[in-house]
Amino acid sequence: MQHNEEKTCWNCPAAMLKGNVDFRACGQSIESIKNKISEEGLLIECSRRPELGMFEPNITFEQCPEWIETEYGYLLKDMRVMILGIDGYLGWTLALKLAKLGCKVSGIDNFLRREAVAEKRSKSVVRIADIATRLRTAKKEHGVDIDFREMDLLNREQLAKYLDEIQPEAIVHYGEIPSAPYSMVDAEHAIKTQHNNTLGTLGVLFLIKEHCPEANILKLGTMGEYGTPLTGRPIFEGLFPADAVLTWRGQEWSMGGELTPRDPASFYHVSKVQDTFNVYEACKYWWLRSYDVMQGVIFGVHTKEVAKHPDLRTRLDVDEWFGTVINRFVSQAVLGIPLTIYGSGEQIRGYLALEDAMECMVRLLSSPPEPGQYDVVNQLSQLYKVKELAEIVAKVGSEKHGLTVRIQRVENPRVEADEHPFLVVAKKLRESLGYQPKTPLEVEIDRMFTLLLQSETRERLESVKDSVFAQTWWNGDHRETMTLEVYEPGTRKIEGYDPNLVISDMED
Amino acid sequence: MSPQTAIIGLDGVPVNLLKTLAKKGTMPHMEELLKQGTLTKMRSSLPANSASSWSSMITGTNPGTHGVYGFTEFIPGTYTISFHSSKKLKAKPFWLTTKGKTLVINLPAAYPAQPLNGTMITGFVSPQLYKAVYPLEHLPWLKENGYQIDVDASLFKASIPLFLRKLEETLTHRIKALDHLMKQSYETLFFVVTGTDRIEHYLWDAYTNPEHMHSQGFHEFFNKVDQVIGHITSKLDPETPLMMLSDHGMGPIDKAFNLNTLLRQEGYLFTGDIPRKNFNNIKEATVAFASESSKIFLNHKGKYPRGSVNPRDVEQLQDEIVDILYGLRYDNRKVVKNVYLKQEIFTGPETENAPDLVVIPQPGFSVKTGLFKNTLFEDDFLKGTHTEDDAFLYLKGFQEKLINPSIEDAIHIFKNQIGEN
Repeated sequence: MQHNEEKTCWNCPAAMLKGNVDFRACGQSIESIKNKISEEGLLIECSRRPELGMFEPNITFEQCPEWIETEYGYLLKDMRVMILGIDGYLGWTLALKLAKLGCKVSGIDNFLRREAVAEKRSKSVVRIADIATRLRTAKKEHGVDIDFREMDLLNREQLAKYLDEIQPEAIVHYGEIPSAPYSMVDAEHAIKTQHNNTLGTLGVLFLIKEHCPEANILKLGTMGEYGTPLTGRPIFEGLFPADAVLTWRGQEWSMGGELTPRDPASFYHVSKVQDTFNVYEACKYWWLRSYDVMQGVIFGVHTKEVAKHPDLRTRLDVDEWFGTVINRFVSQAVLGIPLTIYGSGEQIRGYLALEDAMECMVRLLSSPPEPGQYDVVNQLSQLYKVKELAEIVAKVGSEKHGLTVRIQRVENPRVEADEHPFLVVAKKLRESLGYQPKTPLEVEIDRMFTLLLQSETRERLESVKDSVFAQTWWNGDHRETMTLEVYEPGTRKIEGYDPNLVISDMED
Repeated sequence: MSPQTAIIGLDGVPVNLLKTLAKKGTMPHMEELLKQGTLTKMRSSLPANSASSWSSMITGTNPGTHGVYGFTEFIPGTYTISFHSSKKLKAKPFWLTTKGKTLVINLPAAYPAQPLNGTMITGFVSPQLYKAVYPLEHLPWLKENGYQIDVDASLFKASIPLFLRKLEETLTHRIKALDHLMKQSYETLFFVVTGTDRIEHYLWDAYTNPEHMHSQGFHEFFNKVDQVIGHITSKLDPETPLMMLSDHGMGPIDKAFNLNTLLRQEGYLFTGDIPRKNFNNIKEATVAFASESSKIFLNHKGKYPRGSVNPRDVEQLQDEIVDILYGLRYDNRKVVKNVYLKQEIFTGPETENAPDLVVIPQPGFSVKTGLFKNTLFEDDFLKGTHTEDDAFLYLKGFQEKLINPSIEDAIHIFKNQIGEN
């Protein structure tokens, strides 16, 4: 049984609800005659099957010939997916995966990521081709056509025309500046991050409302929106579950369906929280549909599509602004630098491999929310402590690649809890969307070592060595962090709170 | 130039109502016309609904040929109901097979308007005016002049006087549109009044009971319809052949009967608990289910997602259900007048999608097909329900006469008259 076989037209972006449903009256039909025919008082048309005329929106994905069975569930045939930020680490990887699955992929990018990394005097340590070469190679190696336009998503006039041209059935919004430290450099960087992310997303929402209101919006959020509550209360998937109750002064109130608290940890995370509210409101006001994807920390370089040719590789950043922790650890190990842990290293975060993240996105595309539904998924495979990750990277580096790896604790430049409980609920992708993590941490780390130890990559890594060290402090300082201690792997205990990941109701 | 032939449709008007109101003086023009032509009772299509009957009328064929069994049908391979569209009509309407220009105004079940030599404004159900008009050059005038396809029936619950006023206003605007469009010349005029069906559904008791508080309103509306008939005939040459007809009749409702509830109680229908109350709730154990217009479908294996009925069992199951229906009583009264089997009444290439049985209730009963009703009998909000055996056909100036006609015959008489059959 496929996870989405019982989804219906309500979940399908080809179902033309606009004009057929008076949403202000909560599902009342315009024509009273429709009430006689449909028990729900509603008939729609299908943009893909106009020959059906008007009908009740209850054809299941299993029954509909427009939904094709794939290994990820039923997928809308030739689905038109637009990726905002298609040139990025995730954007390019997803573009190739979707195109290979038969989606009609389009995308925009203004190469802000390439520029911002260059500003740090760094570059992707895996050589990446320019976009024209990427597109040409994708055609040659995978036989896929990806439609690209160089465009800033803040240019609403241009984007409006492009949306009209493509009429996307899904929009993956990766077009944001994805860095906490970058947003903490100074006022200019904080404002740039929030301007691009928050106002950019707000503008995009208005455009979707006008030009493709049925599109499934996959908005990339981050687990960092939630913070790490010191009480250890559960981190639900964005919204309180139906049985959550607030008790105060002997009285009880249901919290079911309300947004859970957010506690961002940088001005970048604040921009993501603001996005969350804007997307939530847009779904409420205009009946847009969206998954807010609270993504854990991504690591890795591999998918079978990007691995097919060097010119198809996605970027890998290791600098303090854009490098994520595991990627940075592996690069430090290759460079012979002790792996840098901030503070105690007891911080717990959610992680998933690039390959698994892409599968999650495909599954989310295969199962759009209903019109007006704002849904949230916590997208991660496993929880780890930073200290624990350092041990695993060191182990793989030494055992499989003969490297001598040490670990160092440095001052924590961030304002965050070094030690905290972490109870995370991440059920939806597994229980409702059929996701199972496929890429073990050690396997992907091994792949990264293999790639980074190649001479070309290693040379590039050497050339950006200086950018690896953290110099951006949350208190506004700009200075290198001091080393607190350097130690051999396997000599420190993992102490304190245990990570607690809830992946099914059985564990509740 | 006046048209060479005119057809006036009065949706849902039974032959006796027309005779009675002509005789009573409510419809003086009709009274006069009855002296000049012949009025006969006419059989409607089965099932007797406007979509199926008007499709039979305009194509001169059985639903088994034109493929329209009602305003709804199941999308193949699903339990999803789709709404009728003119694109689904499988036989050609007469205006595509006759010469000359045709003006069609307010024909039900013709939406969206399809290209023709002439002009088309479709009747109910037409959700969007711009798709109801061909050619589109007429749309601005219609919009500016307040043309309405239909009356919002929900008004009836809010205010009956307002409902009646809107019925009349809609008809007035329709006649205005007719006058405007007749500035061009057409060989054939086909004009349908649909407010008749609407008012009869809601106020049949105002017709049968002179003491009813809206009896006068009912008669005033039919007087307005009569004026419209007079207006149209005044535009015709005296020799112009005139056909008038209804698509089905109408009769009273004392009690509504829930067909799916009966099927469930008798162990033929099993439904699940999907929150959305639609036919996707049908379980595999289901043998039969009913939908709009008293149609019963067997849950054929291979045709429906959870189909379970094998071809070899069809006839036996039809017989079983027929027996159950004929045995049904309410207050010692028989509830079902006739049950027709698919193979008895439908002929042609589109019979595959035909209902396996069509139920005709006894006078006084209406049939409902909601899937989740618990009680077998209930009061009906409506007061009038369609009848299949007492539509009317009026002919004036036609050479041919018909005995015991059915609605499929009408267009052949018309074509014979203009020498194009």
